[in-house]
Amino acid sequence: MESSPTEAPPKQVAVAMDRLSNAARLIADIRIGADRILEALFIAAQPHPCNKPLHMLIKEESSMRQRFQDLRTLGKQLEDSGVLNSSLRSRSKSWGLHMPLVCPDGAVVAYAWKRQLAGQAGASAVDRTGRWVEVEKRHDLKAKITFCLRIWQVPDRLALKAFTDQKRRYFPDLGDEPSSEESGVSKKHRGDQSSVVVKRDDLSEVKTLSDVLVRLEKEAPNVRISTYQRLDWLKRASSLSSSNENLTEPNLNKLGTVLTGNMAKDQVAVVELLIPSVLRAVISLHPAGSINPDAVSFFSPDEGGSYMHARGFSVHNVYKHITEFAAKALQYFLSTEVDMGLYLLLRWICSYQTLFTKLCSKCNRLLSMDKTSTLLLPPVHRPFRYSSDTKTSSVQSTNTQSVDLTTAFHIVCSLDEA
Amino acid sequence: MPIKWLLHWQPNAGTTVNTQIHTEITQCAESINGVKGGRWKATFSYYRPIQRVQTMVLPPECSRDLMGISLQEQPNKLYFVIRSQRIVLEADSMIQMIMDKLQSYRARGSVTFEGYQYQLGDFQLRVGKVIPNSQDNLRGIVLEVEYLPISSLDKSRQIMEEFLDVWQETVSKRSLPGHFMHIDPNFVEYGLSDHYTSQHTAIQYVVVMGQLLVAAKN
Repeated sequence: MESSPTEAPPKQVAVAMDRLSNAARLIADIRIGADRILEALFIAAQPHPCNKPLHMLIKEESSMRQRFQDLRTLGKQLEDSGVLNSSLRSRSKSWGLHMPLVCPDGAVVAYAWKRQLAGQAGASAVDRTGRWVEVEKRHDLKAKITFCLRIWQVPDRLALKAFTDQKRRYFPDLGDEPSSEESGVSKKHRGDQSSVVVKRDDLSEVKTLSDVLVRLEKEAPNVRISTYQRLDWLKRASSLSSSNENLTEPNLNKLGTVLTGNMAKDQVAVVELLIPSVLRAVISLHPAGSINPDAVSFFSPDEGGSYMHARGFSVHNVYKHITEFAAKALQYFLSTEVDMGLYLLLRWICSYQTLFTKLCSKCNRLLSMDKTSTLLLPPVHRPFRYSSDTKTSSVQSTNTQSVDLTTAFHIVCSLDEA
Repeated sequence: MPIKWLLHWQPNAGTTVNTQIHTEITQCAESINGVKGGRWKATFSYYRPIQRVQTMVLPPECSRDLMGISLQEQPNKLYFVIRSQRIVLEADSMIQMIMDKLQSYRARGSVTFEGYQYQLGDFQLRVGKVIPNSQDNLRGIVLEVEYLPISSLDKSRQIMEEFLDVWQETVSKRSLPGHFMHIDPNFVEYGLSDHYTSQHTAIQYVVVMGQLLVAAKN
């Protein structure tokens, strides 16, 4: 980690900052380029043949190559100046100073090393660029595009703004919306040709855990979602007891984070969904930090103990039955849409808000004796399949259906509906 | 803690409660696949203030209707209710000793509720006889219905009502001279919240005792 000895540390910091912000801009441009390529492919897939996509692809291909080249050069420069070495990443005092910081609003600020909050963003920006250099070495175009789409997330205002501007240019028929999040929500109700475009938008908007959680916060505001690292969840589960929820919640909030935004994003392995007074669902993600759910289990909001995990079972029959049913639902969600599994699962779980109040849509009663277990249970089945001819319209109907309109069935009543 | 509704047997006019009815009700619980569990017991006591000098009229700061309830699920606690002032209090069971030492209030009479409990999936039923500890001609049958998964009074209301419908239907098939009644106390007046606690149970016992006393007088 040696830089030119003639340059004073502040100058080095400023130069590094400059390069980092250039890298951010390049990556945003690559993201836009990737979007253009996707758009061209989409147009090419349409029944009416035209030459436009071909021209777009050719043009984009050369600009993308240039951008990658620039990024490669920039990455090399950063590496040479020692910004991306592990010695820096370990946060030791570099150049005699703390790491350069990027403000939350995207502005690059040199000398602002006292800002604790921005420090995290800055360090993560360095980290991201470092990871880009790793990805770039693999010479894999697909990986590069995926990386750009995933790694530079919404908090990066520069990229977001550029992206939104480009979106407005490309999808003018969808109107002028202030942000991509809200535009995703309002596009839900269009049933015309842009429905597939809607689908792609929605897909790209729930690419990360944060996106999924933000989206769900809007759709089901009275549901509490928290994320945990695996060990933290075990601690929380063991300390949850049948005592008042209000007592345990504040103490353990430190372990969980609602809406990721901290450094441990890639270690999130457990998602907890609490519908107050109704149920607590525990979802495990594999691998940690991804949005791929691999197990889900339901519990009473008053239950506690180390058996409370995504593969455990509640002591209560009602939640046991929901857990068994949910295993089927999970398999279905994972098989329908790539990367939408977690979002669809969480949304489906939210439909259980009415577990103890919604009557069965078939027999119109709340309690019914289940023949096999001879237990009185409320309607524990909520449908997760949507009948459709094409994959496209199935996602469309998923998006337009609100939680309140879902039906509910007893186990025995749903056998006829299946 | 899980929701509980306490019901009492309301005999038809002119009839009384007897062991036969109690047996029939127990069989009802078993007929809907209830699995018999252990015994359960709750104790209800009346408290009167201890006066050094006997006066005809009690001083205003003394309470006439102080009642104490001890519940099996909370063996170290004693619950006090002053119905007229809508007060409920959870105290350590040592308070008996303290009251004796202070010579403030003494238990003047008590009633025991006891019987067997039955598990029906996520529901628990406790059928109990009312046994006075003195020569009162107080007799009765009580029923505790508990729904284990949730603790919210609000969320569980519909489920409990439906369960009661199922239960009442089962009981009515036996053509017994009477029926179970549920009175919903206004917990808010006692300062309690939607989240169910043993204090809610204590209040329900006080209300049921009131009903049983009225029935005994008639």
